[in-house]
Amino acid sequence: MIFAVIALNTFREAIRDKILYVLLVFGILMIFVSRAIGWVSFGGESKIMTDIGLTAIWMFSGMISIFIGTGLIYKEIDKRTIYTILAKPTRRWQFLLGKYLGLLLTTLVNMLALSVTFIVYLWVCGTPITLALGQALALTFVEMMVVTAVAIFFSSVSTPILSSIFTTIIFFSGQLTKWVVDLGAPLKSVAPWVEKVLYFIYLFLPNLHNFNIRKEAVMAAQENVNLAISTGEFYSCIVYGLSYTVAVLLCAHLAFSRRNF
Amino acid sequence: MALEQHLAIKTSALGMIYYPGIFSARKIGLHALDMEVPQGSVFGYLGQNGSGKTTTIKILVGLQFSTSGQAWIMGGNVRDSETRRQLGFMPENPYFYEYLTAIETLDFFGRLSGMPRAARRARADELLGEFGLSAARNVRLRDFSKGMRQRLGLAQAIMHKPAIVILDEPMSGLDPLGRRDVRNVILKLRDAGQTVFFSTHILSDVEEICDRVCVLDKGRKVAEGPLSSLLTGKVLEVMLSASGLPAEGVPEVQKLAVRAWHDGILYHVIVDSEEHAQAAKAALERAGGTLRAMTPHKESMEDYFVRVTETPDKGKGSGNGSDGKVLVDSHTHSDPRSLNAVPLK
Repeated sequence: MIFAVIALNTFREAIRDKILYVLLVFGILMIFVSRAIGWVSFGGESKIMTDIGLTAIWMFSGMISIFIGTGLIYKEIDKRTIYTILAKPTRRWQFLLGKYLGLLLTTLVNMLALSVTFIVYLWVCGTPITLALGQALALTFVEMMVVTAVAIFFSSVSTPILSSIFTTIIFFSGQLTKWVVDLGAPLKSVAPWVEKVLYFIYLFLPNLHNFNIRKEAVMAAQENVNLAISTGEFYSCIVYGLSYTVAVLLCAHLAFSRRNF
Repeated sequence: MALEQHLAIKTSALGMIYYPGIFSARKIGLHALDMEVPQGSVFGYLGQNGSGKTTTIKILVGLQFSTSGQAWIMGGNVRDSETRRQLGFMPENPYFYEYLTAIETLDFFGRLSGMPRAARRARADELLGEFGLSAARNVRLRDFSKGMRQRLGLAQAIMHKPAIVILDEPMSGLDPLGRRDVRNVILKLRDAGQTVFFSTHILSDVEEICDRVCVLDKGRKVAEGPLSSLLTGKVLEVMLSASGLPAEGVPEVQKLAVRAWHDGILYHVIVDSEEHAQAAKAALERAGGTLRAMTPHKESMEDYFVRVTETPDKGKGSGNGSDGKVLVDSHTHSDPRSLNAVPLK
């Protein structure tokens, strides 16, 4: 299991990187500050707390995936640490998969730390907690699986700065993919090619909005309902996320497998 | 194609063409290289910068894919990752994860090579001791000096006791003591029956430790074989050193000399053949001088290298390595002609 060795080493690299702790501390601060924001906002304090907490976990997990992930492969090539690794009986896909899983493990641990802080804080503040929050957090993790795969893909073909820009664009534009087709509909009769281009973009970009059930989770928690979305919808989101992740990782492998170092 | 039993490495018409860009001309990195490295030998891979040494090594260790030909290591095709199980590799100026300690680094590479935990621990302790890194076992690599990294690089290459060790410029940038240590490691590996294939600019090291060499020039092999068969042993020049030579005896000696000078104590004369050396000796003694030394200069690795790689338009001389020339170890190749020459009066 060479990829597991590389994954654990990548995890060790990430947890010895100060940027992880900076992001973690800011994430925890944002969760704590959410109550104060709730005091000065219209609407229920507990609703604002839950909403901001879930958003903080999503945002800081995304930042970890982007900022650590986009430099991961490039750094190995640039610093030539990859030379000694690929000279061992390591297949290139094992290296790529190991790097991906290592970063995913880092994101998972970070998410767990933020989520535990969040749930405990809600409990201490007497805010309703239901399984719907678990659903939202689980789909946030699936979203991170996709974003991390995209970051690894760009890192294997481009520089960290460009990779960060591209991955950030996809991270945010992926939230809007759902509306791309709607944008094209009025143009169908005037400029049909625009509609086709927009439809292609819709198919090509990850539909990250699928994983955003934070609003539904907040409402469900407020109304003491256990599920934010149905189990069927929940699993179909997971299947979509896994499929997109595998497709992106395969593309990364294609770019990486024939590369000369 | 099966590899002959006695061969550790074999390449057949191995070629590499680089395509830098759509509008740039293609560049030949390696041209139809046929090479055989016997098992248990120390094999020196020589060439100027850009001659294709590192390209060959990268193909052998799986970092690059050749555009033509094939290469085998211990009978296995180099494109098969399992072949690399028998291989240890240290790149030029090795880089490792700076956040790992020395012991963690060796453990990591041991795991990648499939070593079980107990064997990894024992071997890592053994190697850290052998390479003088025991005190730094828990020090992170960011605090390592260049020499320490080089030693750790060698240690990781031989961690799993591979049959073949490939080293890219292992003496590069090391001080004399560091180079001596690397030479000793290479000889120790050979004594243990392992094959060592290394590229270098430092020709004195090649003469000292290599059994066979291959010389590359602009991506083409220009020579390969045992050192003894490549170096002719022919005397190229003879240097005579004499004391008490009176001024009137100088012109007769000077007629035979390629070069002559006085260093303040002795008169030195260089002649271009053994016959001229005998004549110069007789002339020195006739003039009343006392012969103190007579040193034949046989063809060295440096002479050989220059002979097979130098093109007429290049001119002679050796450089510092950074300009594509070869380095000559000043400790073992002290050329008397490099002294400040004082013409005889």
